[in-house]
Amino acid sequence: MILPTEQLTQILMVMVLATAAIIIMKRDIRSLIKTYAFQSLLVAVMALVFYIETGAVTLLLLAVVFIISKVWIIPHFMGKVQQKLNIKRDIKFHFLSPITALIVSLFILLFVYLAFTPLIAELNRFNSTLFTLGATVGVSIVFMGMIVIFTRKQTLTNVVGYLTMENGVVLFSLFLTELPMLIEILIIIDLIMLTLIATVLAFGIDSTIEEFHARLNPFSREQQTKKPEETTQ
Amino acid sequence: MIETLFSLSLIVLLIAATISLLGTKTSYSKIARRISLVLATTASIFMLAFAAEILLTDGNYSVLAYQITPTFQFSFMVDRLAAFFLSIISIVSVAVSIYSIPYVEHEEHEDRKNLIVGLMCFFILSMLLVIASFSMFSFLFFWEIMALSSFLLVMTDFEKKETQKAGIFYFVMTHLSTLFLFFAFLFIYLQTGTFDIAAIRADPLVTSIAFGFLFLGFGIKAGIIPFHKWLPYAHPASPSNISALMSGVMIKVAIYGLVRFLFLLPLQTWWGILILAMGTLSAVLGVIYAIKEHDIKRLLAYHSIENIGIILIGVGLYVIFTVEGFQSIGMLALLGGLFHTLNHAIFKSLLFMTSGSIVNATGTRNIEEMGGLIKRMPKTAMLFLIGAVSISALPPFNGFISELMIFQTFFQSSVLSNSFLELLLLLALAVFALTSALAAACFVKAFGVTFLALPRSHEAKAAKESPKLMIIGSAILAGLCVVLGIFSSQIFGLLGFSIAVPNMLFIGVILAGFYGLIFLAMREIANRNERVTETWGCGYPMQNSKMEYTASGFSEPIVTILKGIFRTQKTSERSFHDDKKSVFKEGKAEIHLLKFFEERLYLPVANAVKKIAEKVNSMQRGDVDLHVAYGFVMIVILLLIIWWFA
Amino acid sequence: MNIALLLAYGIINTLFVLLVSPLFISLIKKVKAYAQGRRGPSLLQTYRNLAKLLKKETVYSQNSSWIMRATPIINLAALLVASLFVPLIYLPEPTDLVGNIILFLYLLALAKFFMALAGLDAGSSFGGMGSSREMAISALIEPIIMLVFASLAFAYKTVSIPDMFRGALANNVFDPVAVLVAVSLFIVIVVESSRVPVDNPETHLELTMIHEAMILEQSGKNLAMMELSSAMKQLLLMGVLLNILVPWGLTTDFSPVSLAVALAVFLLKAVILAVVIGLFESCAAKSRFFRLPGLFAIALFLAVVTLIIEVFA
Repeated sequence: MILPTEQLTQILMVMVLATAAIIIMKRDIRSLIKTYAFQSLLVAVMALVFYIETGAVTLLLLAVVFIISKVWIIPHFMGKVQQKLNIKRDIKFHFLSPITALIVSLFILLFVYLAFTPLIAELNRFNSTLFTLGATVGVSIVFMGMIVIFTRKQTLTNVVGYLTMENGVVLFSLFLTELPMLIEILIIIDLIMLTLIATVLAFGIDSTIEEFHARLNPFSREQQTKKPEETTQ
Repeated sequence: MIETLFSLSLIVLLIAATISLLGTKTSYSKIARRISLVLATTASIFMLAFAAEILLTDGNYSVLAYQITPTFQFSFMVDRLAAFFLSIISIVSVAVSIYSIPYVEHEEHEDRKNLIVGLMCFFILSMLLVIASFSMFSFLFFWEIMALSSFLLVMTDFEKKETQKAGIFYFVMTHLSTLFLFFAFLFIYLQTGTFDIAAIRADPLVTSIAFGFLFLGFGIKAGIIPFHKWLPYAHPASPSNISALMSGVMIKVAIYGLVRFLFLLPLQTWWGILILAMGTLSAVLGVIYAIKEHDIKRLLAYHSIENIGIILIGVGLYVIFTVEGFQSIGMLALLGGLFHTLNHAIFKSLLFMTSGSIVNATGTRNIEEMGGLIKRMPKTAMLFLIGAVSISALPPFNGFISELMIFQTFFQSSVLSNSFLELLLLLALAVFALTSALAAACFVKAFGVTFLALPRSHEAKAAKESPKLMIIGSAILAGLCVVLGIFSSQIFGLLGFSIAVPNMLFIGVILAGFYGLIFLAMREIANRNERVTETWGCGYPMQNSKMEYTASGFSEPIVTILKGIFRTQKTSERSFHDDKKSVFKEGKAEIHLLKFFEERLYLPVANAVKKIAEKVNSMQRGDVDLHVAYGFVMIVILLLIIWWFA
Repeated sequence: MNIALLLAYGIINTLFVLLVSPLFISLIKKVKAYAQGRRGPSLLQTYRNLAKLLKKETVYSQNSSWIMRATPIINLAALLVASLFVPLIYLPEPTDLVGNIILFLYLLALAKFFMALAGLDAGSSFGGMGSSREMAISALIEPIIMLVFASLAFAYKTVSIPDMFRGALANNVFDPVAVLVAVSLFIVIVVESSRVPVDNPETHLELTMIHEAMILEQSGKNLAMMELSSAMKQLLLMGVLLNILVPWGLTTDFSPVSLAVALAVFLLKAVILAVVIGLFESCAAKSRFFRLPGLFAIALFLAVVTLIIEVFA
């Protein structure tokens, strides 16, 4: 053993959960995106730690792909969308207030653990409680992402919620069965497509008709001058 | 020797009650009630001596007083647990009796003064006998006398609408409690065939049902949420010496009942979880409601709910740890809970008594109309401060030690093998921590607004220090707050428990030592000049009481943050002169506080009962023939039943 | 147990806390000043302030009572007792007399209780507002503090602070619990020493009327005592964090050389932490008062998750 894997994993798990909590609470969209990038980085680091522990090359590849796509490309792209949309904050909440949402997610974490422990006893890789816990954290993050999706109104925030969910899935797969690399990459392409589509939706849904025109026009003008490759909309 | 003390004390109390009641409406009424209060004090001291003897020697004393039939008997048994509660009652009774000598003179009606004193003696007597009861029959009998005498005491000012409401609430709730206890005892009787308290041994389901009834019965009397509503109504309505007894002692009798039966029944984990959950809920909601309250006695009543919650947390932890096999940790929790029972009896009675003095001096219970009393009633202020510091669980006073013991139990929950239980305890720990911090905030408000700064009304400005005996009565309890805090580890040692509590004597001494040291050092090294002058009043030339921070202002941040729990609804309506809503015409803003339990629980139940009663009422038209017909039908039904079963 | 040694520990630790704590107040100020492109006050400025305050006369409001006069002394006395509970350089032999973690927290609460009363004593709305907000904040942070200390008690199976340090010292690698607890403790330090997202120690303007507003009526030697006690409180909480996270350097050997080394190591650790606090404060913006529950909710989440990990793993 080169690294104190167990200790590192525990710390990383808590940090991932904390970033998910921040995503639930935060109102400022820019810091939301940054937090997401940080969360992805944490997941990548976790993959790296496992790579060092087990030596499986897929894990290394995974970490690299993650850092390129989720820490760099997607947040970068979303940041641009946010700038062009010129929405800085998402202050509207549905159903649950953010504090209630956090408390609910704590209970979900507990509940998932209690429900999952008997189920995944055979599945897990190293057959230790730590890994059951890791799987629980993964599933809880999926749930927390869902909470983000249904409590927030802005489409951009919803996208961040979806991305968080995906991080949860990856975490789950890291701790339990290995997802084939191909699927992993497909999911990432999926995500990139999703962010693209979300941009369209953000323009369509998120504003009234008048605002829509007002916003669309400077956007297209800018496109004509600067970025001809983004004319998919 | 020891037996005579017990019976002597009871007899003296009975004499005291009779003297006061006989003296009513005679020319000797004043001297009669004075004698009776002095006798009550003596009787309580006797009882304290008796209880202390049993506590220290781990003795056991039992007596069969009177037998109606072999099943219905008045028999008494005092062991250590009972002696502990007897000592709580007698300590508080001593202080309250002394305090009452001048206090009852504030009552307007001459004949009611004697009634209060006489009933109070009966009330104390009944509580002592409930604790000492060995058979369930006598327990229930004296329980009912306790309920009735306290009900009459609550109704002292029966002309007031507020008092009537309080009386009805109290009467219904206390009888619900008796009813559930009756069910429980009947159930146990049916299972075991005896009214002997010690005879309960049965299978888990049966004991669980019995426990359910017992918990409901004792819980209602103790005032746990959601059965708490009578407390905040009854306490402001009754005279302060009675509030001190009811809040300080009577609700503890219910705790005694619960603990007594928990000792007898084979324990189960879920009981512990139930007690812990209800305790936590009562603790946190009690203090949260207290923060919002500006009626000083109602504020204290809500704090009683909180502290009952804390005691129940201790009891619940005892059950959980004992069932899981950690007797010593369970014992720590139980001792914490019981010690808190004693502490709460002392500081809550102290607070009720001092608040009674304040209410007498200012003529209002609203703390928004007080202020500046620390200069007008310095001794009362000091005593109230000691009570406030104790109830806020600050070292080195007594409230701190009991909460520390409960906290330490929580901190040891990692020994539990069941991780679900562990997390449950942690959740309770977080809520408990919140409770204890909110209590401190609440008492900063209560003390600060009542005693500090400038008086907020003419009455407060004209307030005078209370009579000497009222001070002495409260001072006894205040002294005990300090003594029980400082000497806590020595007291536990004396009683034969080795508990890992920090040695507060040491802490107290070094705290006092540092205080003196700093005081002296400051005299030496710092500038000794002092100036008493007008300080900056936020730019206003003359500072007056209108600029002070009010109690509502003080609790506003917490109320706003916890508005989900208070269920406050803010509504504002505005109307304008023009269409574009620019010229303001008039507006109305309202903050509505939903009395959640009253509106969602009590009133629906009461209305349902009322509806059923109306239905039944229509069957009784006062027509004799109809009633004969009912009788006829009933007899026929009975005959049919006999035929069917025989 | 060696009584003389324990006594020596008490004197050394208390004196150390008393003398060194003002240094970190100025250090954090300095770091913040650098972050803003200023040079900032000298590191000795807090000492100079205290000396100046001691020389000034004490002014009391006409409305105030003995609470106002007693509070500063109670505050300082409570903090001095509390400083016996957190060994900073020399770890004494196990003792029942000092070190109980709950007692430590409640000694701080005792100081705060009287400070809030003194805020109400003069009858100015400034002090009242400070007390009200301070009590609200301290009530909300309390569950987090208790959970943080409960996780320490879980990890080291003790309720005594020196024993926790001993447990941390025995661990050779980074303990995950210690790291996670340190993050929560950091938030607790920020809240309890009235630092930026919660309060601003530099001002007593309307925006940040919390701690500084509460002690506005204090003057002269009383103000000096209040400031010294808040500096001590900050150092004690920093000490808990440091000696849990990086206990190395804490000595169990009572000899001049090892004490000097331990002192130097602790100063180094504390300086680093103070710089981190200063940088954190420079990066953060003051939060609106009613947004604080959100901040605390995240801290609570972190504390609970730490405990869950600890319980399950």
